[in-house]
Amino acid sequence: MVTEEEIEHVSKLMRIEIDDHDEYVDKVKSMIGYFDILDSAGVESEEISMPEIPISNLRKDEYIPFEDKLIEKLNHYKGTYVRAPKMSS
Amino acid sequence: MTMIGLEIHCQLTNLNSKLFCSCKANYREFEINENICPVCMGLPGSLPRLNQDAVKKATLIAMALNCTTPEKIAFFRKNYFYPDSPKNFQITQLNIYGDTSVGGAGSIMVGDKKIRITRIQLEEDPGRLIYEGSSSKNQITLVDYNRAGTPLVEIVTEPDFETPKEVRDFLNILSDILANLGVADPSLEGAMRADANVSIEGGKKVEIKNIGSFHDLEKAVHFEITRQESLHSRDIDIIQETRHWDDQRKITVSSRSKEEDLDYRYFLEGDIPWITIDPEIRKKLQIEMPESINSKKERYISKYNIPSQVADVLSSDKYYSDLFEDAHTESNAKEVANIITTELMGLVDTREKREVSKFTFIHLKELADAIQSGKVSRNSSKNALHEILKSGKDLSTVITELDLGNVSDESELSGIITLVISEESQAVEETKSNPQTINYLVGKVMQKTKGKADPTLTLDILKKQIGV
Amino acid sequence: MNLKISALDFIQEVKTGNISVEDFVAKTIEQIQNVDDKLHAFLSVNEEAVDQARKIDKKIKSGDKVGNCFGMPISIKDNICIKNSKTTCASKMLENFVAPYDATVIKKLKQQDAIFIGKVNLDEFAMGLTTEFSAFGPSKNPWDTNYVPGGSSGGSAVSVSSFECVASLGSDTGGSVRNPASFCSTVGYKPTYGLISRYGLISYANSIEQIGPLTRTVKDSAFMLNMISGIDHNDNTTIDNKNEDYLLGIESGIEGKRIGIIKEMIGEGIDPAVLSATKDAISKLESLGAICEEISLDMVKYSVAAYYTITATEASSNLARYDNIRYGYDFPLEGYEFNSYISKARRNFGPEVTRRMIIGGFVPSAGHAGKYFLKALKVKSKLTREINEAFKKFDFLVSPTVPILPFKFGEKIDDPISLFLVDINTVTANLTGKPAISIPFANSNGLPIGIQLMADSMNDKSLLQAAYALEQTVSLPEVPI
Repeated sequence: MVTEEEIEHVSKLMRIEIDDHDEYVDKVKSMIGYFDILDSAGVESEEISMPEIPISNLRKDEYIPFEDKLIEKLNHYKGTYVRAPKMSS
Repeated sequence: MTMIGLEIHCQLTNLNSKLFCSCKANYREFEINENICPVCMGLPGSLPRLNQDAVKKATLIAMALNCTTPEKIAFFRKNYFYPDSPKNFQITQLNIYGDTSVGGAGSIMVGDKKIRITRIQLEEDPGRLIYEGSSSKNQITLVDYNRAGTPLVEIVTEPDFETPKEVRDFLNILSDILANLGVADPSLEGAMRADANVSIEGGKKVEIKNIGSFHDLEKAVHFEITRQESLHSRDIDIIQETRHWDDQRKITVSSRSKEEDLDYRYFLEGDIPWITIDPEIRKKLQIEMPESINSKKERYISKYNIPSQVADVLSSDKYYSDLFEDAHTESNAKEVANIITTELMGLVDTREKREVSKFTFIHLKELADAIQSGKVSRNSSKNALHEILKSGKDLSTVITELDLGNVSDESELSGIITLVISEESQAVEETKSNPQTINYLVGKVMQKTKGKADPTLTLDILKKQIGV
Repeated sequence: MNLKISALDFIQEVKTGNISVEDFVAKTIEQIQNVDDKLHAFLSVNEEAVDQARKIDKKIKSGDKVGNCFGMPISIKDNICIKNSKTTCASKMLENFVAPYDATVIKKLKQQDAIFIGKVNLDEFAMGLTTEFSAFGPSKNPWDTNYVPGGSSGGSAVSVSSFECVASLGSDTGGSVRNPASFCSTVGYKPTYGLISRYGLISYANSIEQIGPLTRTVKDSAFMLNMISGIDHNDNTTIDNKNEDYLLGIESGIEGKRIGIIKEMIGEGIDPAVLSATKDAISKLESLGAICEEISLDMVKYSVAAYYTITATEASSNLARYDNIRYGYDFPLEGYEFNSYISKARRNFGPEVTRRMIIGGFVPSAGHAGKYFLKALKVKSKLTREINEAFKKFDFLVSPTVPILPFKFGEKIDDPISLFLVDINTVTANLTGKPAISIPFANSNGLPIGIQLMADSMNDKSLLQAAYALEQTVSLPEVPI
């Protein structure tokens, strides 16, 4: 069973501040609790598969610049850098 | 026993485009944030489009480092928040569902020592951060995303190194191999970077990150060994941690990374199916693989009788070996090797000098041929080389303009020799009893002709005129 | 001017000159103005739509080449990027985000002279099945505005069923096209995974979701598929369908086809009206010459848990990029440290998105992946094996699209587990990559019921043939708006 501390820890990991206990702790607990049903699926020996494509289907190595000056459509600083908050050292 | 392992990041600088989009792989020529698009900026709705050649080049590296190469490769997301990472995850490779990274176990020899490679993975480089503002209050971070998405190969080694010197030797060999493969230019700033992990007998493993250059890497490893030994000698436990290299103070400093940042929640990247690389393609790559440095060296020795030490330097630097390959013929090979190793290496020893020089293999070939045919003396050839590097003019122009051509006109040379004989009668007499003295007279002729007299012809005429 | 026509009829009417595109589009805008205050399907309306319609009329008059959509007004779910238009995902986080590029489906439709009449509502980032989780308020079911329209493509279904457009594009991660189609009595199509490019669809759970059309008729869905399907070099997961024409032979019928009735999808908790409609559908299919037989898919009972585990994991990663640094809303960063800034900025996510991100951070984490995420992937694998086995025996699988009738606003919003179970019949197609369609089939006291048909991968064409055959047996009341 997932604990309240684990939920608070994960929300920090996900960079989300939560305050409403009922909304975020109780509901999340019951949702994760529901997933316990997976334990009885008996799938331990199952292999995990993914779609496959041959290397020849991949993009050719060509330089094609983007048609617009993208930085102008983003948050920017004097038209050049993107600004981010300071980093903790 | 001290154990050192490395994680080397090498940009595939010779590709045209980034790993997942068509922006330029070599971002260095751009203004800030001009080499970006919705894909490498991770804009909502954009999807990665894997570069076929990046997979091929990475596979080539794996083959050159004697690694296993799998039939299918897979990509994973490494999740962490950082402003240089536009998606707040990095697309990289792992081996959690079988060996699915571009290279598996391999090894290379460093001298007599075998260094084992754990794996090789293909991944994207993040953007670059610039910190602005002096006081912590007004400080902000500026981000240039031009580099974001540049194809990067990560080479992970086993902890097989015992000394900083072994680390340095390995990195030198590795850079040469990567350059020789034509996949990367290690001389470009930031094109090759490495992290190290260091542990001494009885201590835990310590990772060192943020090392800017290979030169600093050796220093950082050295510092870390000393630090750990000093702790050990005082019975202080060496804890498992990540430290970063402080470039200013030249020491390693503990990174106060929070525990929660260490869970990357790796999972398969659903936007990129598994890529199958069938045996035919791997075979083709193997065939197209450039000749290895070792094989070149052996060929230079056995085929052209080039001395081992000369062959060694010649083969390990791609710039010089390419010049050699293009310029040499059966007959001039030794002369070409000689010009490169005795003259050229001192003149174009840095990337910048190579870039500004206008020197080509044609110059080299003509110069070697001219020396062999006696058109220019070895002495004058140095002056010619300097001029060619500066101006890029062809050899015959340079010879005429600088008047470097050998005096090989018999009547002109005869006149000069007659003059020398009349001036040096004592030496001429001596020649008759001591044949070695004739070299003195040759030297005199050279002086008069500023080194341009054809030495063979000079000797012939001298002997004839003196009558020995 | 009759707005209540199918896409194919619209094209026919324009081609024959019976209607002008301008008139039709203007009338559609008028309809939106009349009904959308009440229904709230739209988040934004294209103000240049009438001008664009006029241009297409001009092309038609002067005999220039006109694209196959002939100015058809289409609504687009607001998680699909249209260049220089706001694309909000019904989230405060992207309230001001203007897409700098066109999604592949948009590019294709533009080339075919479609008109994007507006962007329509959804649950925030497509996480939900009622539109109650839209940050800009829910859409209402036109059959009864006290009821949810289904979701997450609720705005798409509402706009189609209330004649605010001729067709719509939604996205289907676990039933997000089929569920609202069923609740609003429209056709909703979820193609084989990879048939339609996702480039420009803002990812929620990228390994299983697809863009899909919501239309008035099965033929219209086939037409839309013709317009937007096919391999796309911008999306490595797309499949080459060799320019298949999905309309060709759509009237072929289902004589002799074998249809499996999925036992787990008509079991516990099913509404009696839905069950009786399903039985009715089965006898209709049989009367068309199909052979129907029950089949059990064991893994279906774990499918919803697997679905939420996988989607939460992918969503937590796909939505990590919303840190308000490169784009987003106005929130100055001075004085903040990076992590505290983005944690504050990300409070703009609504409660459901926030919950799923927490779940998505938890289930694949180092200590818990084995119990949750890996098991979910294994259920997905085993379910795929089971269904592949079933398609060796059957051409199609049938079930109700949703086991219950549309419900009232607020009825389930506080009970996440009961909301989970509404998805039980739709998530299988997503987890296994199979094509599935919801066909309007019945009406119980004014509330629509849809029937779902599923086929094997890349059998989209025959699936549409079966759906068309079933559709022909149905006669339904007109929507009371």
